[in-house]
Amino acid sequence: MMDETFINSYRSPQLSKNWLLNLNPLNKINIYIALGLITLFFQHWQVNVVITLVFILLAVAAGRFKSFISPFLKLGLVIGPFFFIVRAIFWPGENMIFNYGIINITQEGIDLGIQYATIMLVVCGILVLCTVTIKAEDLTYSLEKIGVPHNISFMILSSLQLIIDLKDKTNVIMDSQRSRGIETEGNVFVRIKAFVPVLSPLFLGAISGAEEKTIAMDARAFSSANPNTHLRFLRPTPALEKILVILVDILILGLIILGVVL
Amino acid sequence: MSYIELKNVSYRYPLAETDALKNINYAFEEGKLYGIIGENGGGKTTFCDLIKGLIPSFYGGDLTGEVFIKGKEIREWESSALASTIGYIFQNPFTQISGIKETVFEEIALGLENLGVEREEIIDRVTSVVRQLKIEHLIKNNPNKLSGGQRQRVAFASIIAMETDILVIDEPTSQLDPKGTSDIFEIIHLLKEQGKTILLVEHKIDLIAEYADEVLVIKQGELITNGKTSDVFSNVNLLNEGVNIPQIALLSNDMKEQGKPFDTFAITRSQAREQILKKGSEKICH
Repeated sequence: MMDETFINSYRSPQLSKNWLLNLNPLNKINIYIALGLITLFFQHWQVNVVITLVFILLAVAAGRFKSFISPFLKLGLVIGPFFFIVRAIFWPGENMIFNYGIINITQEGIDLGIQYATIMLVVCGILVLCTVTIKAEDLTYSLEKIGVPHNISFMILSSLQLIIDLKDKTNVIMDSQRSRGIETEGNVFVRIKAFVPVLSPLFLGAISGAEEKTIAMDARAFSSANPNTHLRFLRPTPALEKILVILVDILILGLIILGVVL
Repeated sequence: MSYIELKNVSYRYPLAETDALKNINYAFEEGKLYGIIGENGGGKTTFCDLIKGLIPSFYGGDLTGEVFIKGKEIREWESSALASTIGYIFQNPFTQISGIKETVFEEIALGLENLGVEREEIIDRVTSVVRQLKIEHLIKNNPNKLSGGQRQRVAFASIIAMETDILVIDEPTSQLDPKGTSDIFEIIHLLKEQGKTILLVEHKIDLIAEYADEVLVIKQGELITNGKTSDVFSNVNLLNEGVNIPQIALLSNDMKEQGKPFDTFAITRSQAREQILKKGSEKICH
């Protein structure tokens, strides 16, 4: 039985009930990056934490908190502490706290480490928020509308999909390794030992698949000189949304100027 | 005028020492289904790539002779015009999905988007193809999460939506289970009924016997025999050339050798059944 409601959904903009999700993808990116830029001008870790909290609130407002928080914590808890440790134990300073060989912990290093770690949280926040609130295809369509060539937008989309494909293929190969009795679970060394032999079949498979995918795309007239059309319907940006984005940009610009002056 | 015509065509891949295709001459007629069979590595896929225009533009190499598609030499065709004239489906169902679309409906629409077809027409054409192939239940699914057989049906749907007159289909069932194979041949049968010109490479010889109007046998790059399907398969000497013969054709040959031939040489199960029933009723009458 054909789902007529689903088919009719392509005849008008595919809007959700959430105002934030309905914003134009480029406007969403504009807001996220503008918020992120504040961190570069204020240079206070407290500001970075506030911006991170704003991102969490935006995820809540978009109704995407669950899908946001897990990858954000996974990413942030790896990258943030890494930057903190690198800065904290190697940065030179006058207020020495601990010194042993090349390890040189200073108060200045710790302060800078906290600053960098919280900036990384903001960067992770932007990235994860983009992935959970923007559909990749809507993003590339809106890029095409402002003149980005079709093949560039295809490359963006296929690169994003490639990451998912490689992850899936890795799981398939690891499962088959496991079924042959090869140990794939355990401490980090066992996992590395199991993972390294997977790399060559994984990448060789990806390379050989690339040729077939090119042929498949050729069969779908990808190289057509005609201007391409789109099945998906991207809503023309409403005036209110334009005003909102401009206001946010002006507000952030004002804050940045305030930060520089102070 | 022939739909596709090859005149003295030879082709050699870059860096290869021998020709992959050797002096091939053949004319394909509109609306027929051609089965292309032969040993692995014999040149069947190269033959398909040639008709699809991937040779020499994509693979390079030396192509001699002439290939005419609807009367126009293949080198004169623009890639996009060729894509809207010849559809190409190949064996690997996993690389035929673009990977960039979120639903099967959007995946099927991709070729039409690339051709610049307007949204309303895209919706109509995709809906029609989905109905024809009976894949209504899949349209909302993520194409990257489908099984091999489902992906192959979506690949067919994507090409059929582009409404090409000619279809080159290269071993579409080689990675599918019996159910998937049966679904794909149902689609091929439908396309044949629609009057499409189909070039089908397939190892499942009984299915070729069932569906093909004519058969071409390619061995080591040469077209060693061709003709009506029943004529080609009645020559059991092809077994010596490494070509499989349908089981029913072998049975017909055995009957002939036993001095009890069928009235007409059967190559499919339905033909054999008809002959056996006929012989049975004749016996009863006598």
